Amino acid sequence: MLQDYLLPESVADAIEVLKSGNGQARIIAGGTDLLLDIADGKKEAVCLVDITRIPELKKITLEDGVIRVGAAVTHNQAAKSELINEKAFALAQAARSVGSLQIRNSGTVVGNVVNAQPAADTAVALVALGAVAEIASPGGVDLVPVEKMYAGIGKSAVDSTARLVTGVKFPARSKNQGSAFVRLAQRRALALPMLNVAVMVSLEEDRFQWVRIAMAPVGPGPVRATGAEEFLRGAAVDPEVIKKAAREAAVQADPRDSALRGSREYRLAVLPVLVRRALEMAVAQAKR
Amino acid sequence: MTTKLLKFTLNGEMTEVAVSPSDMLVDVIRDRLNLIGTKKGCGKGECGACTVIMNGEAVNSCLVPAMKAMGAAVETIEGIGGPEKFHPLQESFMDLGAIQCGFCTPGMIMSSKALLDKNVNPTSEEVREAIAGNICRCTGYVKIEEAVFAAAKKMRENQIGRDRNEQF
Amino acid sequence: MSSFNVVGQNVRRLDAVEKASGTAVFSTDFKLPGMLYGKVLRSPYPHARIVNIDTSGAEKLPGVKAVATHKNTPREKFNTSATMTFTVPTYEPVLDQYIFDNVVRYVGDEVAAVAAVSEQVAEEALKLIRVEYEPLPAVFDPLEAMSPEAPVIHECATGKNIPGEIIRIPFGDIEKGLAESDVIIEEHFKVPVQKQVQMETQAAVAQVGADGKITVWSTTQTPHPSRMILSKVFGVPHSKIRVLNPPYVGGGFGVRIGLSAKAEPIAVALAMLARKPVKVVYSRKEDFIASDTRHGGYVTVKLGARKDGAFHAIQMKGILNAGAYCSFSCETPGVLGAMGLAVYRIPHQYYYGHSVYTNTTPSGAMRGFGNPQAMFAIESVVDMMAEKLGMDPLELRLKNIMRVGDPWCLPYKCSSTGLAQCIERGARSIGWERRGKLNRPGDKKLRGIGMGVGTHVSNAWPFCVDYDNAYVTIQQDGSVHLAAGVPDIGTGTSTTLPQFVAEVLGVRLDQVSMAFADTLTTPFDIGSHASRTCYAAGTAVVAAARDARKQILDYAADFLKVAPEGLDIKDSVIYVTGPNVGAECAGTGVCRAGGGERTSVTLKELAYHAHLRNKQFIGVGRIVPDNAPPWHAHFAEVEVDTETGQVRVIKMAAAHDVGKAINPGIVEGQIEGGVLMGVGYALSEEIRYDEKGRQLQDSIHKYMLPTAEDRPEIDAIIVEAEDPTGPFGAKGVGETGLVPTAGAVANAVYNAAGIRLKEIPLTPEKVFRALQEKRGEA
Repeated sequence: MLQDYLLPESVADAIEVLKSGNGQARIIAGGTDLLLDIADGKKEAVCLVDITRIPELKKITLEDGVIRVGAAVTHNQAAKSELINEKAFALAQAARSVGSLQIRNSGTVVGNVVNAQPAADTAVALVALGAVAEIASPGGVDLVPVEKMYAGIGKSAVDSTARLVTGVKFPARSKNQGSAFVRLAQRRALALPMLNVAVMVSLEEDRFQWVRIAMAPVGPGPVRATGAEEFLRGAAVDPEVIKKAAREAAVQADPRDSALRGSREYRLAVLPVLVRRALEMAVAQAKR
Repeated sequence: MTTKLLKFTLNGEMTEVAVSPSDMLVDVIRDRLNLIGTKKGCGKGECGACTVIMNGEAVNSCLVPAMKAMGAAVETIEGIGGPEKFHPLQESFMDLGAIQCGFCTPGMIMSSKALLDKNVNPTSEEVREAIAGNICRCTGYVKIEEAVFAAAKKMRENQIGRDRNEQF
Repeated sequence: MSSFNVVGQNVRRLDAVEKASGTAVFSTDFKLPGMLYGKVLRSPYPHARIVNIDTSGAEKLPGVKAVATHKNTPREKFNTSATMTFTVPTYEPVLDQYIFDNVVRYVGDEVAAVAAVSEQVAEEALKLIRVEYEPLPAVFDPLEAMSPEAPVIHECATGKNIPGEIIRIPFGDIEKGLAESDVIIEEHFKVPVQKQVQMETQAAVAQVGADGKITVWSTTQTPHPSRMILSKVFGVPHSKIRVLNPPYVGGGFGVRIGLSAKAEPIAVALAMLARKPVKVVYSRKEDFIASDTRHGGYVTVKLGARKDGAFHAIQMKGILNAGAYCSFSCETPGVLGAMGLAVYRIPHQYYYGHSVYTNTTPSGAMRGFGNPQAMFAIESVVDMMAEKLGMDPLELRLKNIMRVGDPWCLPYKCSSTGLAQCIERGARSIGWERRGKLNRPGDKKLRGIGMGVGTHVSNAWPFCVDYDNAYVTIQQDGSVHLAAGVPDIGTGTSTTLPQFVAEVLGVRLDQVSMAFADTLTTPFDIGSHASRTCYAAGTAVVAAARDARKQILDYAADFLKVAPEGLDIKDSVIYVTGPNVGAECAGTGVCRAGGGERTSVTLKELAYHAHLRNKQFIGVGRIVPDNAPPWHAHFAEVEVDTETGQVRVIKMAAAHDVGKAINPGIVEGQIEGGVLMGVGYALSEEIRYDEKGRQLQDSIHKYMLPTAEDRPEIDAIIVEAEDPTGPFGAKGVGETGLVPTAGAVANAVYNAAGIRLKEIPLTPEKVFRALQEKRGEA
């Protein structure tokens, strides 16, 4: 039963509360998922530690070519940010896809990662962007790739009663690079995706220098299509090559049969289309 | 259970109310402060009927812990206008048939206001983005969208009028 | 054409100010001093016997004031829908429910309820109720439920799990008609469970007075019939029960024709036990799983035509899923058949249909009431017929549609139709001539255009008991009060009915107020359903206003010393008409029509004059409505993403013959809302069940109704083929927006991508598979 709700104004204060809470205090940011989980009895907390009043967590910054998104940055802040749109388009698109505007005004990008749902839109984009999470605890700060933040379906590697993810950071795209996010859903708002795919490409003239492809929900968290990535390394930027890579990507996908969001068979059949479309968009951006 | 004194600005007035940490803003507004204009259609952030504007942004008040409003500025339908002087959105919703059963109306108007407060010249896409989290089952959204555009136009004209008055 | 002052005008809704300012009161807003909150314990099993139920733990929880179960509530059978009050003899209403029973028949069925000082305490108490269930075999499909192996859900005389009677509609000689047809197409269709998802969930507040009188504020669409149901359940005379809306209702779409699911009887039962007012508000999940849905099921259409395209025979069959309790499951298959058969002039027809009980959420009334199910099937087959005959589907329809006076299967006349004009104007809006020219070779996203047509009713007579009463009272200051028992569930009743009064009496609309949706202050009315309020309640209101007008003019005739025929009323002034009065006589004092000194009197003066002589003008309207067919043609332009199977509706042109549009803006609103609900029905909306009988879609998040970002362009076109039976020529419009929509969309998808799906919704996966199969064939 919830007994207290605290609004610390610094990371140090928040960590201190977690420490003294001995597992009874839990971090809350936007709360759009957590509050429903608490109401359904899926998660418990005696004390909620709200981090959205901590000034440094509310910012999106660019420093030395690295973009940092603080843990209190909302989806809408990311979706509307000029910096994110210009330098990490996949994240802007993914953030724009979440829930509804009201949800995007409360829910946070980092919260989406920590909630650890398999199809979390912004997590998929962050994996493609090569993002790393900064995790603060009484012991110090750890850096963990967003890909490694999943400990199972709906289970985060971060225990929010002990540690605080303060933000995520990833390299801003350079001129020859592009990123994109595509999503298949049953409606245009208020819907979880049947599939979502984010990619980032780096080109060298008419060839792929490297590519990152993240797909979901085809595993516990965003799944990297490492085979396709390898296939594209050094390959020509060519529609047939992209198509082939897209088919290759699907080989690494292991979607479930979902009564609500499509059969495994259907999702496997359509996934290459989404990967191809994402690659085409990212390439177009890189060439601009 | 600890109760805390929530202090916030509600419709421009400093408001204090004792809340428990598990109270949601929608229930405090409706049951404790008796502002029933904010509706509750799902309690899970799926329908938008409870939309209020907090610090300038439209949020589902059913997913906002009351404590999150500490020190914040919250606006509800009751605060934006009434018979003595309706907000342009209220006027256009009434005049253009954007209201049927009326249950989504307050939330719909608050989402629209959050948009127009920032952008009095929105595109159709921006309007739809702003109200996509507000379910309406009566209107097919057609007249609602028309009403938002009509209000935007009125607000632009008012702005020009104000600018002109300031000039002279 | 005569011109009117108020009728036909886009006046602002009279409820707009309250609704726009946030002061409009709905049931969910309603509070009483000392009020308790009720919560319901629901079955986790689709079919089980309750072996034991122990409520002692819940009763001991501080704050709990009453616990209701099948043991301490009335054992009086009823039907939550108003059918139990208006089934036409010699049919018998099916009464198959108790407030709580010792058998549960679907996941969500009511087991017990608690009244407590807060919702939280009531919810805590529910967890303390110990129920021992003995699970029983369950069945979820209506065809399977008729098989000998299926469990008996209710004992039925007609056939295994078949509530009520089989509906058979014979017309002409079907065998002969099929034998004489040159081309016959027979197809089977499957239709989904759709949910109303009205924005306000089911809710009721009940108060039982010290004198035993019961008052219920609730979300019902039919306060008077709801009172009749509660009277039977609780054994209290009608005269001691008051049912009312407070006064606004957050949408209906059929979900509360009769009780608001069980919100009213549960609130009353708890209020009786606790001796305090009790409020019951369904959560959105409860509204999804334990509140009537549209009927899913199976529809078969066999259509025969002559070589020249003249339809010659149609045979239809409808087997619908009733769910666990009957609700409107006797009537819906009948309307499915009757409306399906009424669209085209076909000499030989036959329909066979019924519902079947299963262990799923009860199906009941939802906007269209069987008609959308019929028209998805029929309009798909008509398009297939056009292709087979090598004809333009639009021309084929024009050739076969019903004309005024044509014989049909319905027990009233086809008294008006603007369908040909609807087809013409809809086709122009969509650009029908572009059909077939929208795609280039190699396109992955294919565009297509399709159409569908249909008709409906303007009330429920003669399928259900259907009559209306209204009072129009001239107040002592000349303002006007209307009392009519119909609710305003958002469709504008509380504006259009006063518009009628203002028009008939010659007063300004702002002089008219209205009492509605309250059994205490209004005469009996069957309620707001079946597209009937404007047409049927409107007929009563017009009759009452005419009665009042006659009394006014008779009195004024004495007052002005002229014959009443020589008087008219405008802007609340009664004046002498005719060649001898008017502007040219003004001030001359010579050309008086009558013997009096004056040529006019205000209604205000006249009403007060009458008052001082112990008289008031009170008009009474008591009518049994005729019925009249509204018509509609929908045109859809869609885009099919052939790589993913996603279908997007780009535009819907929806032309509707509504008779006289009393308030065109309100009429457009009805059409637009219906069209989008129809697009949802066509593309994405459905509730399915898992193997344990649990509803897969039980929230707005999971149930794919369209948002503002999903809506197509909608062109609502009003065609006014005025009907001689309707008030000022009006016909029904409340339900028609989604009747032909799914058919039009499915036909457009076929036109775009060459795939014919016989099961809606057209989800991406279904469309994708159909495209795959088509490629396989090629």
